[in-house]
Amino acid sequence: MTKGLEPIKTYLTRLIQGKIVPITVIFELFQNILQTNNRILELMADMNDKSGGDYIFDRQYILSASREMNELVDRLIRDFNLLAKNRYTDLGKVFLRISEEIETELSGKRISASPPYAMGMDAAGVALADSVGGKAANLGELKTRFGHNVPKGFVITTSAYRKVIEGNLIAGKIEKITGRWRKGSLTTSNAASEIQEMLENARIPEPVANEIRSALSQNNNSDVARWAVRSSAIGEDSETSFAGQFKTLLNVPSNKVLPAYLKIIASLYSESAMEYRQEKGLHENETAMAVACMEMIHAEKSGVLHTLDPAAPEDDTMVISAAWGLGAPIVSGKIRADRFRVSRNPPYPIVEMDIIRKPERLMPSSSGECAFEHVPVEMQTAACINYEAIHRLVETGSRVEKYFKAPQEIEWAYNADNNLYILQSRPLNIRAGLTRMVCDISDAIDGHPVIFANKGEIAQSGITSGKVFPVKTDEDLRAFPDGAILVARSASPRFAAVAAKANGIITDVGSATGHLANIAREFRIPTILNTGIATKVLSPGMEITMDAQENIVYSGIIKKLCFYEFIEESFEDSPEYRTLHRILKKIAPLSLTDPRGNNFTPAGCRTYHDITRFIHEKAVAALIHFEPGKSGEKKGGMVTRLESDIPIDLRIIDIKDGIVKAAGARKKITEEEIRSMPMRAFLAGLGSMGWWDTEPLPVDFKGFMSSLTRTFSPELASPRFVGLNLAVISREYANISLKLGYHFNLISAYIGENINDNYVSFHFQGGVTDQLRRDRRAKLIAMILEENDFMVEFTHDIVVANLKKFNTGQMLKKVKMLGNLVAFTRQLDVRMDSDGQIEKYLLKFNRLIRNPVSDSHAADENVTPKNNDGVQL
Amino acid sequence: MTDQTQKTILILDDEEIVLKRLKPALEKNGYLVETFSRSQEAFDRVMEKNFDIVITDLKMDGLDGMQFLTLVKEQSPMTEVIVITGFATMETAKSSFQKGVFDFLAKPFKLAEIIETVKKAEAKLDQDA
Repeated sequence: MTKGLEPIKTYLTRLIQGKIVPITVIFELFQNILQTNNRILELMADMNDKSGGDYIFDRQYILSASREMNELVDRLIRDFNLLAKNRYTDLGKVFLRISEEIETELSGKRISASPPYAMGMDAAGVALADSVGGKAANLGELKTRFGHNVPKGFVITTSAYRKVIEGNLIAGKIEKITGRWRKGSLTTSNAASEIQEMLENARIPEPVANEIRSALSQNNNSDVARWAVRSSAIGEDSETSFAGQFKTLLNVPSNKVLPAYLKIIASLYSESAMEYRQEKGLHENETAMAVACMEMIHAEKSGVLHTLDPAAPEDDTMVISAAWGLGAPIVSGKIRADRFRVSRNPPYPIVEMDIIRKPERLMPSSSGECAFEHVPVEMQTAACINYEAIHRLVETGSRVEKYFKAPQEIEWAYNADNNLYILQSRPLNIRAGLTRMVCDISDAIDGHPVIFANKGEIAQSGITSGKVFPVKTDEDLRAFPDGAILVARSASPRFAAVAAKANGIITDVGSATGHLANIAREFRIPTILNTGIATKVLSPGMEITMDAQENIVYSGIIKKLCFYEFIEESFEDSPEYRTLHRILKKIAPLSLTDPRGNNFTPAGCRTYHDITRFIHEKAVAALIHFEPGKSGEKKGGMVTRLESDIPIDLRIIDIKDGIVKAAGARKKITEEEIRSMPMRAFLAGLGSMGWWDTEPLPVDFKGFMSSLTRTFSPELASPRFVGLNLAVISREYANISLKLGYHFNLISAYIGENINDNYVSFHFQGGVTDQLRRDRRAKLIAMILEENDFMVEFTHDIVVANLKKFNTGQMLKKVKMLGNLVAFTRQLDVRMDSDGQIEKYLLKFNRLIRNPVSDSHAADENVTPKNNDGVQL
Repeated sequence: MTDQTQKTILILDDEEIVLKRLKPALEKNGYLVETFSRSQEAFDRVMEKNFDIVITDLKMDGLDGMQFLTLVKEQSPMTEVIVITGFATMETAKSSFQKGVFDFLAKPFKLAEIIETVKKAEAKLDQDA
């Protein structure tokens, strides 16, 4: 890499001495921008990869990765502003905002007294657990993953709690009281009631009250609207479950939500909660409470589901309690309920049921309270849920358990229209029982042969079991059964369609930095990619257990191994994981997908990925629209044009010995006059016969072409000249930027005497068709590059591939292959209308590589590149 | 797996997350595992009991990892030490090889990597025995 840049340094020196033209400066900045851009994408992929659970990372990693990311983006913006003559200074402001947010995350001071004070349940999630509390975080995840099953509503955040404490100047008072209590000079009961009284009578600061009112009206603040107002303290419904220690108020009218809110936050200082915190060593000043406000479900029947019987985990059953009306009295043990014991395995047969007489039910009353009433006689002895309702409940419970990787206690309700709602879900604390069961794993594994081990990459860690279901077509996807393990040749992002059903995913090819890997992480599906052999050795219907922690696939269902995961605290619950996840949210999502879109501006950038994408697009444009000749260059750094049969308008800048001396001063040169080894190899690949796809393009291609004429000058509008392309070359070096249509290729290669200096990098981005087709083409490109020994990073439609330290002959062959690839895939995204096309074109490419028929250039001695020893490639 | 062959492992790292993730994974593979986040406490434990394998970070407050592993080797020369350290402290880690460290892993590492390293250390212990 350094060698390739040396000539640029020389030119910079000469520039300072006033001897050189600015194109080299522009190129040097461009080169820096591309390098930084690539490093950012690599680091982003790396951080994403770490979030899948396969790696053990610590806080130090998050700190150093985030800081490196900050430095890279800062450098990118600086270089770009030099290139763009400070036309985009707003990028600096966007950067400052994002980097400050990341620093705040890193500093761990997340619970501030600043807004937002309320947020929609859809926005809540585990990553925001410190802001929305444990219960709302879990519900938010479920709402996002399982949609309609969670009641509508919003969360009043922990920041609102802080604001209330600050606004009423009671932080100091609370500290004094808890101090006396810890010393023993105040009883728990007295301390609790003093603090609770202060909180219940506190004034809600206006900014908080306003946000709550606005959230109410955005949901439903009509007179008939009734709310369930539930505590959601930090840590509640997680490992430190605080089960039942805080208040819940049901059937609250909209105009009573504010006082109800105060009652709930006051319950943070209930006697039992204070003692619980003391016992667990949790600091009083670290505690804070968010409050979830959810629309009341008019429950016809409600209850509790344990997805694994805590009393007898070895029975492998779920247990349902169900009664008429609201579920609160079941939870508090005030009424008896029907009980059903159901197998944990599809199709979830009922193993046992106990239907009792249920004379009373709790119902919401019009006054805004709840009251017990008599159940009509004919319903008293009837089972309150039928088989279908049980089935739907346990199926949902099974998914929730899979997602949270622990047996769950789920409060549920069915309304009169038979819609199922999850009201809350918390992990069942049954570690002790399970530890007894699975104490010796080696016994459990005995008799279960290993099908394969340490093949491929773990994209999402976890342990699971199920029947193999191979997926080849969309038809297969539609037929995908609940609880099966998806086995496929490639790692298609389309598998997202069955993410909620699949127990696990195993593929032959694919990458832990690819799109499917992200989906697997999002849905926490244990996933092993790139095994090479999955489709060969795993046959349909085969029962397997996959340990995507240690990367082993066993024959048969090993229940004990699956339970093992329940014993561990899942890494997703660790503060480190949540911090990384939150930081990634500020870095990785890409919202600037369309360079022609209205939001393609500095202000439109939401994340570092957006900034990177924006700069990349604009930097390429700056270079492509650079008009040679205006700067009056005379000697070195001369821009010439390539005269060739290849349908591509290529401008060439020779920085040192890249073209024969005699041609140096001419405006046009031929391929024969190029001396740059990598450039010749690339052109040989690019110009090979058979690689420029000559099949007629689909009709909509006309539209595509006409759109191009708006962007490019008329001389470039013919089909043979789509885009403007630039190569900067020396004898051993080539940096080739190709803008073919709306996608961008960058090939950078240094190929010289020293094998350790040799590298080729390939960067591909963009396309003109819909995201899915572009993804498919990127996927095809990634697969071809992987088959050709490149290290490939791949996200959406961006492919970054690197190859290092091969000998000169091998390197030149790879560069020629890149030429083939660019020609081959030029317009392919238009044709990529199904995943099947990936395989088809992969085969076609390989066929052409093996059998370059009628390759007139290859036969032409003058064009075929030779390495330094004169060996033909 | 019988108790006689079960190897004992002590893990020292000041980042709880590392302990939380390593302990169950190693236990699942049949090892007896104790974890410490404070080097002094880990050292006190080592003075009481010889462990087959010690896994330690290098950069910590108080008694640093380098001092710790030196003391471990003095106390119990048969113990195999595996150093886990951040990328930045890799050079220091390399110099610690002279002190008889079995292997080192740069953080972040894969679960499978450390288990493989521990198994190799175990094989060496069995061979030496």
